[in-house]
Amino acid sequence: MDNPDPAHQKKSLQTNESLSAGEHKKQIEFQNEAVVHLNALYNYALHITMNPDDAKDLVQETYLKAYRFFNSFERGTNCKAWLFKILKNNYINLFRKNSKEPGKVDYDLIKDFYHSIKDARNDTSETDSDFFHSLLHEEVYQALLSLPEEFREVIQLCDIEGFTYEEIANMVDSPIGTVRSRLYRGRKLLRAQLEGYARKYGFATDTDQ
Amino acid sequence: MNCIETRALISAAVDDELSFLEEKQFLLHLSECNECTVEFDDAQRTKLIIRERVVRFKAPQTLINSIMQLTSFSTKEMF
Ligand SMILES: [Zn+2]
Repeated sequence: MDNPDPAHQKKSLQTNESLSAGEHKKQIEFQNEAVVHLNALYNYALHITMNPDDAKDLVQETYLKAYRFFNSFERGTNCKAWLFKILKNNYINLFRKNSKEPGKVDYDLIKDFYHSIKDARNDTSETDSDFFHSLLHEEVYQALLSLPEEFREVIQLCDIEGFTYEEIANMVDSPIGTVRSRLYRGRKLLRAQLEGYARKYGFATDTDQ
Repeated sequence: MNCIETRALISAAVDDELSFLEEKQFLLHLSECNECTVEFDDAQRTKLIIRERVVRFKAPQTLINSIMQLTSFSTKEMF
């Protein structure tokens, strides 16, 4: 799995001169299994790099690698989890081992992205009348961004992407017990942040009562 | 199971990741302990709100295009 040279990968991919029937089948399968997770991967990349350009590079690298090694993907297992694991490995290779400085956190760009999709989103079920429903999407997002990376990551993988603890443990290379406790602590931190916003609006929270 | 042990299981309980035995002991404690029940409800609501309210970005079109290209190049495009 470890080939850190993206230029080489790209080249080897494109020198397949004649597109065999097998290759064609692989492409179709890859699109159905892997490319459908593009948005999820991009959001994950954005969360760990905090920079849209880095996120783009990371997702691109991930798909290059995933395509190249697609035959090694165990059919019937969770392809999304496999892709997330590759992305995380790429992230470590690109930004940690090669000590490439991650791009500066670009909150303005992220905010722009936010505004561009804001109107396209509708609120989902309003089943509960508690204070949380007064919170804006942006506030919840800001609260998530304010968490240390190790907490933000597991919360995103679990609550947003819906991975199991076993899958998360594999992605973040930690025991399941660590995933459990990070989720517990991360949610507590997040809860405190959100209560701060709620008080701003004059809503009583459980801890006030 | 005491409060400290119970709290350690809260996130797993929220995510339905407890073993059968753990779940039994966890629920037994909640039935006797108000504080832990409040903590559990809080954790559940926090998960719900993140899921419902967090901002999801759409991948930029340039990225979508380059990924699509990666998996649909034909001989025509290569020469
Ligand atoms: Zn208790």
